[in-house]
Amino acid sequence: MAFWRTGRIGNWYNNTMAAPVLTVRELRVDFTVDKRTVPVLRGLSYTLEKGRILAVVGESGSGKTVHALSLLRLLPPCADIAGGEIVFNGQDLLSLSPSALRDVRGNKISMIFQDPSSSLNPVLTIGEQLEETLRAHRKISREEARRQAAHLLTSVGIADAEKRLGEYPFQFSGGMCQRVMIAMALALSPDVLIADEPTTALDVTIQAQILGLMKALQQAAGTAVIFITHNLALAAQIADDVLVLYAGLCMEKAPAKELFSNPLHPYTQGLLNSLASLSQTCEELPAIAGNPPVPGENLPGCPFAPRCNKAFDKCRACLPPLFEKNGRQVRCWLEEPK
Amino acid sequence: MLRYILRRLLLLPLVILGVTFLLFFLTQRLSPEMRASLYVKDPRQMGSLEEVIRKYGLRDNVFKQYGRWLSNVARGDLGYSPSANMPVARAIKEYLPATIQLAFVTILLVVFFGVWFGSSSAVHKDKWQDIAARMFSVGGFSLPIFVLGLLLLMIFYGKLGWFAPGGYSFQTDMVIHGGAFKTYTGFLLVDALLNGNMRVFGDVLSHLVLPAVTLCIGSFALMVRVMRSSMLEELNKDYVRTARAKGLPETAVVYKHAGKNAIIPVITLASIQFIRLLGGTVIVETIFDYPGIGRFGVLAAQQLDIAGILGFSLMVAVLFVIGNLLSDILYTAVDPRIRLD
Repeated sequence: MAFWRTGRIGNWYNNTMAAPVLTVRELRVDFTVDKRTVPVLRGLSYTLEKGRILAVVGESGSGKTVHALSLLRLLPPCADIAGGEIVFNGQDLLSLSPSALRDVRGNKISMIFQDPSSSLNPVLTIGEQLEETLRAHRKISREEARRQAAHLLTSVGIADAEKRLGEYPFQFSGGMCQRVMIAMALALSPDVLIADEPTTALDVTIQAQILGLMKALQQAAGTAVIFITHNLALAAQIADDVLVLYAGLCMEKAPAKELFSNPLHPYTQGLLNSLASLSQTCEELPAIAGNPPVPGENLPGCPFAPRCNKAFDKCRACLPPLFEKNGRQVRCWLEEPK
Repeated sequence: MLRYILRRLLLLPLVILGVTFLLFFLTQRLSPEMRASLYVKDPRQMGSLEEVIRKYGLRDNVFKQYGRWLSNVARGDLGYSPSANMPVARAIKEYLPATIQLAFVTILLVVFFGVWFGSSSAVHKDKWQDIAARMFSVGGFSLPIFVLGLLLLMIFYGKLGWFAPGGYSFQTDMVIHGGAFKTYTGFLLVDALLNGNMRVFGDVLSHLVLPAVTLCIGSFALMVRVMRSSMLEELNKDYVRTARAKGLPETAVVYKHAGKNAIIPVITLASIQFIRLLGGTVIVETIFDYPGIGRFGVLAAQQLDIAGILGFSLMVAVLFVIGNLLSDILYTAVDPRIRLD
């Protein structure tokens, strides 16, 4: 898989823990619904280092997809980045001109989406869609693009690549389409790959294959990954770090192993408890009672307080900040340093 | 694909039988005398009316008459049209190309401007481009063809004298029938080019402008709306987001990715409109005195020229079937998911 190693990422092993590729600071995103402003992301901050996989975990409506789209400024027109900074390799993505932004998209930061079959254009061949990605960022001939595209397809495990380049998305299964999306996203060896629920639309056996493929390619190229999922087990499998998102706020961020062995936030604990397990039998799955707040519902305190069995008055009155503890972050008054 | 085409063409005789028999049956509501009267020019020959009726067997059973007509058609004889003063087959050969030419130019205008205005309307939703295109399309939609045609004629022929009615000028008529001008296809525009005669080409084209613009307006309004809504729908799809995420320029995202999908309903509409135009340019051809097949059909209907009416409807039926087949084939060219078999 030597072709993944372009000069830019040749010796990533030497500086694995170097400066972060991506820093997100106090990112705020508002939606405008019926002339009303609804905050969806309420100040999200994190850093992503080279070659690391960060899982962003959350329920539907927690803002995880909005966060992913805002990184490449792909938000729908009704959404607006209200504040914060997204610094990628020293440049602020939010202040880039459209052409400079295009140079980043697909080239330095690329993205994989949830539904692979609808994410590919139904009337263009797979080959065309791969080649145009290459040709948008590299000055190469059609023949060269074709050759590389065939190579890419082979590298994501699609046999008979030459022939399949001429086929259309409807001739591919969902898993195959996602492989194509991965090939497309990693075609230009980006520094960051954003994977927005890449396996949600696939069945479980295919999920495992796709995850394995992503991880293998990511390790070969040293790409940093933001892996967005609602599936904690999946996050445990693939991630180095996990960020738990709830109602547009980061609730807990920790290295994956520590988070799963010792969750600090009651929400994270609840999520872990509600995972179904084959080794235990129980009458009922211990789900978290209640529903997450509707975006725009302004709770003065912790957004999880109404569902939290450890909540006390302070939780309902004011929003806890992110407390640092042993290199982990947690947004809970219980973890407030004495 | 070939099998599909053959199968569809096998349907052609059925359609033709249905349409023509229906019409033939209706013509029998007229008495044999009425049907024969057109062939007797002079009132003093009234005695020969009975002769005509007997000669053509106009009192025979419907099916017998229909069978006779059909077997003549099979031999390529569509009968004689008194209203056009020539055999029906020759009249079609003479007038149809002019109508196809007119319909073709019209549909080109409709598709070109419809796609252009419709997509810019979608891309600049709620901006001035969108509002202008929408207003224009509502206006065009609500303007009756005969009003618009007369208006254009008044302004551009009456006042300004830029474009004349008719199919071509007197000078062009002299050239065409002068002997040196060779007829290759019957389409004057094409023939003028093949003869290398740009003057004739320009003249024929300038005579096409007013009828084409008049025909255009209604279809154009529809086309803008279809293109706009189809483009808006496509621009919201996931693959458009993927295209943007790949770092493609916005023009490629809109026109290559969304456009190629958005154009599919436009093709259906355009082919329906084109087929409709072939049989339905009657009003416009009459207003502009354009020597097309629609005018022939109107004359035949007005004068109870039964051979002419039957020939005209036969032609329209054939064109409908072939036109629909062509639009099906066109589909496979734009949408790979559609397979004909």
